[in-house]
Amino acid sequence: MVSFMEILSPSFLLFPALLGSAILALVCPLVGAHLMLRRRVFLGLTLPQIAACGVAATFWLHHAMGFDHGSGGERLLAMAGSLVFTLVGMGLLAYLDRHATGSPEGRLAAAYALASALTILFIVFNPAGELEILNLLKGEVISLSKDELKLLALVYGIIYVGLVLFRREFLLNSFDRDLSFLLTGGSVQWSLWLYVLCGVSIAVGVIMAGPLMVFGFMVLPPLAARTLARGMGSFLSLSSIIGLITAVLGFYLSVRLDLPLGPTDVAFGCVVIFAVYAVHAMLGRGGGLAKLLIFTLVLFAGCGARQPETPLDPALLGQGPIWLASVRNGTGADLRLPGTNPLRSLGEMAGKLSPDSRPTVMDLLRGSLQREFQQRQITVSLPEERDVRLLSLPFDGVSAAANARTANLSGWLWLSEIRRWQTDGRSPLRTVVEMRLVRIDNGAVPWQRQIAKTLPLVGAVRLDEISADAVSTILREAFGS
Amino acid sequence: MSNATRLVSLRAAALGYDGVAVLHSVDLDIGAGDLIAMAGPNGAGKTTIFRTILGFIPAIAGLLTRNCALNEFGYVPQSSALDSTFPITAREVVAMGGFGRLKPYEGLPAREKQRLHGVLEQVGLAHLADRSFFSLSGGQRQRMLIARALMVGPKILILDEPLSGVDPESQKAISDLLLKLNRDEGKAIFFSSHDLRMVRSVTDKVLRVDAGKVAWEEGSVAQHPW
Repeated sequence: MVSFMEILSPSFLLFPALLGSAILALVCPLVGAHLMLRRRVFLGLTLPQIAACGVAATFWLHHAMGFDHGSGGERLLAMAGSLVFTLVGMGLLAYLDRHATGSPEGRLAAAYALASALTILFIVFNPAGELEILNLLKGEVISLSKDELKLLALVYGIIYVGLVLFRREFLLNSFDRDLSFLLTGGSVQWSLWLYVLCGVSIAVGVIMAGPLMVFGFMVLPPLAARTLARGMGSFLSLSSIIGLITAVLGFYLSVRLDLPLGPTDVAFGCVVIFAVYAVHAMLGRGGGLAKLLIFTLVLFAGCGARQPETPLDPALLGQGPIWLASVRNGTGADLRLPGTNPLRSLGEMAGKLSPDSRPTVMDLLRGSLQREFQQRQITVSLPEERDVRLLSLPFDGVSAAANARTANLSGWLWLSEIRRWQTDGRSPLRTVVEMRLVRIDNGAVPWQRQIAKTLPLVGAVRLDEISADAVSTILREAFGS
Repeated sequence: MSNATRLVSLRAAALGYDGVAVLHSVDLDIGAGDLIAMAGPNGAGKTTIFRTILGFIPAIAGLLTRNCALNEFGYVPQSSALDSTFPITAREVVAMGGFGRLKPYEGLPAREKQRLHGVLEQVGLAHLADRSFFSLSGGQRQRMLIARALMVGPKILILDEPLSGVDPESQKAISDLLLKLNRDEGKAIFFSSHDLRMVRSVTDKVLRVDAGKVAWEEGSVAQHPW
């Protein structure tokens, strides 16, 4: 299990993703705080959706013009589409705000609905790139490359510097546009600059992290900061600080519990808001920074505690034979490994061999476990060789032991289940495997471990190769060698 | 009034929004050291005159002349026009008045901090500077907004309904402050109110705005009523 300090280490595999989240979390709340002050917080919801629509539309056009997907530069193309749609959408909304009647909220809601519908339609028009577009729209920060991280840092760095340098002008313009006009000679220019910064941050953020994470970081930290802040300076700084705390702890939770990062960050951001309100209610008014400090210490104290891992006691294994049950696939995905034998591929193509007969990740894991036990001089057998009904055993210890007893097995049952084995060929392979040692005579489970591992796709891009590496890593962790 | 002392002048002006005039044939001069009140019912067009003078909307017809720059106007809006969701302190609100003198990336220099303290002392609310602006009473907020307008270093103060929505004690404090600024510092002051009795008690130069017309009312204040 990954500890909190491990994720903060630059050598941690997903450290670039943590950096990406932190950059987003530092800048998006500042942008969102300004939108909130201008009572335009729904822009933070609508613009990311318009950006997403831009991505889908650009891919559809790209495909309609005869280009193939996967020809490279997709992210750049998506970013261009996202940027153009966001800026045009923002311009249109600003024009309607000035010239149309009706409620601005109604217009934003209608724009959101339209952008959502068009996004889906553009994806439907372009089935060839559907998966690719969906991946881009999901905006997995996890799969950020170094170059993308640099681009994100550059763009968001410029936006951050702009928001900090011109904080007075933006504040004055948001708070009292008339005074801004008198003192700076024009209020429109500052509104325009602010909205351009918002638009660019949303367009780039959506590509890198997806609409949900961008909107979450824009809205949730300022909402929490609003409760603690006593002035504009502290409101803006606290928004960024709370964003950063949410990003780091959300990331830790995501890795530790093996949850998708965006929804985890957003859900955790909501928890932060409730916690801040609770701390505020308990400690009363004032001392915003002190409250934030207390709140953060409590949260980090929880993360700092590392759950002790129970090592597998070798003495247990010497107490009787081990029956190695078939590995269960709890992912719901097809985990067949790609064929490596050209004769087998020819056989499959000729219909002589069924693709179903190809080995799976479960076979790989079971084979490796069997070898591991044999190397340790432990007697290991396969239950289905004694009774074919035991080909598939439940993962629950008591039920599995009861089944084993019906076939007169004795000793230990080794149960394994793959909970996650996932990669899109671009992002790292993320795995979660749970293993249990079950006493057959009473169903007791003296040892069990859930092992979550993430492996980079460097140098081994084939699923069979990376899976073999992953299995070795998991076994090293399970057996402590 | 000589051209040199005339700060703002409107001649045969038609004022309104989107080309539709709500006030016709407006003639008005505001000179240095003037204390002028504008009275009239709600919706008569008082704010329209302010907004035209301040350049927020153009005059539809006629002539508008300003003999001072826009950043020499100290404008005090109604505090209810400001968004109360801002977590902003009174000090931050008052400091905004000095933003026109600062470069975008510049911090608040010592001279500005000194000036800030000075205007807060002037309105008698330095002790409330670090309180949340929207936690102050209506009268205190008005005085803070006057402090913000003074922070600009204005030649002329324009105040939109500074005496409305505040308790009698605050009305007296604000009136005293306006009279003091006018008499001691020679600031030109142009303010509005829908309460004719009240404006008569502050100044004898009263401009009445009603039914699309603007006219001077002759009156006098022999002494300050309080």
